Amino acid sequence: MLTIQNLKALGVDTEKGLTTCMNNESFYLRLVDRAIKDSSFENLKEALDNKDYERAFEIAHSLKGVLGNLSLTPLYNIVFELTEILRKRTDMDYSNYINNLLEKRDKIKALTL
Amino acid sequence: MVRKVDVDIEKRLILVVDDEYINREIMREILKDTYDIIFAENGKEAIDKIYEYKDTLSLVLLDLIMPVMKGFEVLKHFNESKKLKRKIPFIVITSDHKSEVESLDLGAVDFIPKPFPEANVISARIKRTIELFEDRETIKSTERDALTKLYAPEYFYRYATNLDKNLSIDMDALIIDIHHFHILNIRFGTEVGDEVLSSFSKKIKETIHKYNGIVSRRGADVFMAYLPHTDEYKEILSEIENIDVEEVKGRITVKIGVYPNVDKSIDIRRRYDRAKIACDTLRNKVVTSSVAYFNKDLYDKELFEEQLIDDFEKALEEKQFKVYFQPKFNVQGDKPVISSAEALLRWIHPTLGFISPGIFIPVFEKNGLIQRMDHYVWDETAKKIKEIKDKYGLSFPISVNVSRVNMFDNDLVNDFESIVKENGIKNEELLLEITESSYTENSEQIIDTVNDLRNHGFKIEMDDFGSGYSSLNMISILPIDVLKIDMALVRNAFSAEGNTRILELIMDIKKSLNVIAVAEGVETLEQVEALKKIGCDVIQGYYFSRPLNEKDFEEFLKKELNL
Repeated sequence: MLTIQNLKALGVDTEKGLTTCMNNESFYLRLVDRAIKDSSFENLKEALDNKDYERAFEIAHSLKGVLGNLSLTPLYNIVFELTEILRKRTDMDYSNYINNLLEKRDKIKALTL
Repeated sequence: MVRKVDVDIEKRLILVVDDEYINREIMREILKDTYDIIFAENGKEAIDKIYEYKDTLSLVLLDLIMPVMKGFEVLKHFNESKKLKRKIPFIVITSDHKSEVESLDLGAVDFIPKPFPEANVISARIKRTIELFEDRETIKSTERDALTKLYAPEYFYRYATNLDKNLSIDMDALIIDIHHFHILNIRFGTEVGDEVLSSFSKKIKETIHKYNGIVSRRGADVFMAYLPHTDEYKEILSEIENIDVEEVKGRITVKIGVYPNVDKSIDIRRRYDRAKIACDTLRNKVVTSSVAYFNKDLYDKELFEEQLIDDFEKALEEKQFKVYFQPKFNVQGDKPVISSAEALLRWIHPTLGFISPGIFIPVFEKNGLIQRMDHYVWDETAKKIKEIKDKYGLSFPISVNVSRVNMFDNDLVNDFESIVKENGIKNEELLLEITESSYTENSEQIIDTVNDLRNHGFKIEMDDFGSGYSSLNMISILPIDVLKIDMALVRNAFSAEGNTRILELIMDIKKSLNVIAVAEGVETLEQVEALKKIGCDVIQGYYFSRPLNEKDFEEFLKKELNL
């Protein structure tokens, strides 16, 4: 189940996330639920696979903002790094980053099922 | 009972621009208690929304990196040109320090980093930015009236418009007027006058706030209020008139014009025109404080006036306006002799029939069409003068009316010069009637214009003399050639209990000014003889002839002068 406690156990900085959301727990959880099910993750993977770094940067940048606001720290840290590398449109193998990101995402997503 | 409304009437409106649903939702959660919020998902949408809400928007929160159009483009759009009359502050949302500097260069006033800082930090920065901007704007456009601390009209209209966007309840528009305030000012001095105004505005504000409304000062002694519909105007009236200034206690009479349950699809200013129309119906009959409503009759009147305005062009084109001429007789000889005439306008409307000038002239005076109407009459009259000259070899002067607005037209003298020239008549043949009230309203400028006209050889008749408030001092310096006595004065003098003393006084004035006196509205032989006896030179009225159309006038003239 998607709860503050379970999120915390997965390394999410729920305290900070809650502060941003005016300490409204159900509101916060609703947003996390939505963020985690968002297609941005898949879109990011697709862009990276296609070496479309322009698009990948845009997606990563947006995602970074959302993950940061919700303090989904484990995901945020990865996307933060990704964004910085993509800012220079670096052509490299991103599979470690994206797989790691999707794996961590799936763990949180599992809470919602 | 005062009805409570949940929406804070002065809640500021904020536009949040962010492509991410979650970020928008967080902003909503943080701001929704303090502000009204609208959203845009990209730069293009943001620009549209900013134009749509340009009058009411207090702040834009702008994400910099978005698809379709980036936040930068939005900043550039509003930075490069003066597309908005008033500045709206932008706060930029960004995770990128480099962009922060760039966006400040482009006119953003602050930035909020991403991930968002604590909610109270965001709130504080937004609050500060709005306050800063409103303070600055206050200095620029005086948001509040200096004396009464009430909203200036432009701000008031903006807030009222903002209210409409948030409230789906019926609203009333009010005009509140202190009856004969200028007399208080004269009687007790402007210091007391100012005190009355401050006290009065405080009372209005307190009272209207109780009813969840907002208040503005519209002009000298006129106020506006916008509030949820109520039926308690009796109570409101008695609260407002009860002001605490010793000198005038119990002497204040208040008029309120109410446009109830306003039609929100019409412009806010027009709603107040309607409240004003209602208030004006109280003008001459107020003894105690009263309320008047904009009702069906006034609405019909408004519609009727609109129709007259709509029909104006066509009426000119199709010559529905007819110039009539009312003869004037010189009575100082043995026998009265026709010496001149006054050009008067008639409107023969194709569907409404004959419309009295008393009805359409005030309507056209209000919106400036009177200028073109006047020009039409001047032109037609000049043609007539020329025609009489050509046919009968006669110099026959005719007078035309010059409306107050025309007196402020810088081209007036040139216009008359060219009308006279084009028609081949002499300046002194086109007599100009200017009402006394024009002189008193803005005397210096009017006197300058009149002097100018006289220097060009035009003869000036002061119309409706005795109906205005000319001081004796002013009369002595007036540049005029003829005093035309107000019809009402003539009628009163010859009414059952009237006496002619005031007319005799006017004759004394005309003698000392060495001008000609004309009396209008004269209907009987007895009146003609009395006027002649006290020294009146010229008489116009039904006794000699009603206003005649072109053809009848010519016949009349031929008969009178044996042409």
